[in-house]
Amino acid sequence: MRELAVLMEGLGYDELWLSEHHFFYDGYCPALLPAAASVLSVTERLRVGTGMLLLPMYDPRRLVSVATDLSTRSGGRLDLGVGMGYRDIEFDGHGVSRKQRLPRMLKGLEVLEEAQATGGAPVWMGAQLIEPVKRAGQRGHPILFSAALPFERCRTLTKVWEEGWAEAGRPAATRPALGALRNIWLTEDAKEREAARDWVRASYVQYAGLGWTLPAVGDHQVQDYAEDTDKAIADTVETTITGSAEECIRQLRMFDEIGIKHVAFRLILDGEPRAALESQLRRLAERVMPHLRERVAA
Amino acid sequence: MARLAEGHGLFGVLAGTANPLTAVTAAVYASTATDFVRIITRVQLGLEHPVTIAEELAILDNVNNGRTVILADTGELDADDASEEVEVLREALGNRPIQHDGPRWKVPAGLPANPTATKSIAVTPKPAQLEIPFWLTGIRAHDVSENSHLPVVAREPSSVSNPGAVQPAIARISGELKQDRERAAAWAAAGVTHLLIELPRDGDEAALMTLISRHLAPEVGMPNFPRVMSQSRAPLPWPGDRG
Repeated sequence: MRELAVLMEGLGYDELWLSEHHFFYDGYCPALLPAAASVLSVTERLRVGTGMLLLPMYDPRRLVSVATDLSTRSGGRLDLGVGMGYRDIEFDGHGVSRKQRLPRMLKGLEVLEEAQATGGAPVWMGAQLIEPVKRAGQRGHPILFSAALPFERCRTLTKVWEEGWAEAGRPAATRPALGALRNIWLTEDAKEREAARDWVRASYVQYAGLGWTLPAVGDHQVQDYAEDTDKAIADTVETTITGSAEECIRQLRMFDEIGIKHVAFRLILDGEPRAALESQLRRLAERVMPHLRERVAA
Repeated sequence: MARLAEGHGLFGVLAGTANPLTAVTAAVYASTATDFVRIITRVQLGLEHPVTIAEELAILDNVNNGRTVILADTGELDADDASEEVEVLREALGNRPIQHDGPRWKVPAGLPANPTATKSIAVTPKPAQLEIPFWLTGIRAHDVSENSHLPVVAREPSSVSNPGAVQPAIARISGELKQDRERAAAWAAAGVTHLLIELPRDGDEAALMTLISRHLAPEVGMPNFPRVMSQSRAPLPWPGDRG
C-alpha cells in the first residue's frame, strides 16, 4: 500500500481513497485511520480519503481526536468520508444495534462537523439513496458515489444532492465538487480488456458475499446482489470504462460535466497481478490525466 | 525520536504516551519511520470498544511487519472490567473466531436488530505476528496479571515479581553516567529483561541516546562488560556523505 501510494504521488495522482469492512475473510481493512496514517506518513502531497469509514460503529469523540491528529501530522491531507454501513454482523461485532445506525450517524456527523468548522478534516459522505444524498447536500458535504452506480444514476443523485444544497439556502457558487469511484481500464488490447472486465466481475462477487445490494432509485432498477447475483454483477461490470485513452477521456468528461470532478479509479481488483496494476496507473497518468481538468484519484 | 532510537540499536520505542486517544496513529508514524525496532504501543483501556481497538492494532502490526508490543494501561477501569477488556482484546487478536459473553462485553452482541449476525466473529486481518506481546501497566495491572499471567511493567526494582519470563520495566535516567549505570545494573539484577527509559526533559536527545547505547545497554548486555570499550574514544565520524 505504501509503495503504491509513493508511486501514485510520483505519477501525479492527487488522492487515494481507502474502504472499510469488518470481519471478512480476506483481511478487508477494518481500521481506515491507521491505514491512512501509514500512507500519509510516507507521502508529501497525496491526499488520503476514507471512502467510507462506517461512522455509527465508532465513538465520534475519539474518532475526531484521531482524525484531527492525523490531519495535523499530514498537513491537512486527510479527507474523512463516512457512511452508515449495512451488514448486521459489523454492527453486532461492535455492540451496535442496526436500528441505531441513523441516530448514531447523525450524532457522529454533528461531532465531525464541529471539528471541521475549527480546521478538522473535511467531511465527505457515501450514499446512494435519495434521502441520504439529499441530507448530505443539505448538510454541505460532498458525496463520493460507489463505482457500481451507473452514470445515469450518478446524474440523478447529483441533482438530488444539488437540491439538498439549495434547500439549505446555500449559494450554488460555493458548491463543492462531488466524487465518484469508477472501474476503469485503459487498453486497446481485446484480451487485456476481457481480463480487466473479468477482474471487475470477480471483485463484485465479493460484494455478493458481503450481502450488498443497490436498491432501486426512481427509474433506476435494483441491482440485487443477493437474489439475482449474476445479473447484478453483469450490470455492474457494464459501468466499467475501458478502451483507448480517447474513450476513457470522453467518458470521464461526462462525469465532469455533471459536477463530479473527483474521479477515483477503482483499480485494485481480485486476480490482477501487481505488474498490471502499476502499468495501468502509469498509463492513466501519462495518457488520460493530462487531459482532465480536475483531480484524479485511485 | 523513533529513528534516532533505531539508529542507536535500541530494542524498541514507546508510542502513544502523549495522548491515549491517538496512540495508534503515533505508533503508525513511528513504525513507518523505522525498520527494526519494536513499537511498544500504549493502549488505554475503557476508551473504545475492544474489538475496534483490536482491529486498529491488527492493522498496526501489519504496517510494521510484526513489530508491535501492546502496553495495555488499565486507565480508570476497575479490576474486573480491566481483566475482561484485556481478555476480549486478546481473544480478538487471536487466531480463532471470538465469541465472548461476559459481564461488561458480549461479542458479538446478539442484538435483536441485527438478525443476520453470526454467533461468532473473526477479527481480520490477523496480526502479522503469531501472537502480539502484551504487557500491562496502570493501577489495576497487577489485578489483571493475576489471572492472565501477563507481564506488568515494573516501576521499582523491588516490584519485579516475575523474573522468569519477559519482564519489562520503566525508569527515568538522569543523564549522569555513574548514577544511570548503577540504576541500569539494579534493574538487570532484579530480573528485568526490557527497560523502557524516560529521558530527562529538555535534555540533548542525541547525547542521551549515545549514553544509552554506548554505556548503559552494554553494561546489561553481557555479564562483566569490559568498560575499556565504552570508555575508549569514539571513532572519528565518516568525513564524506553519510547518506
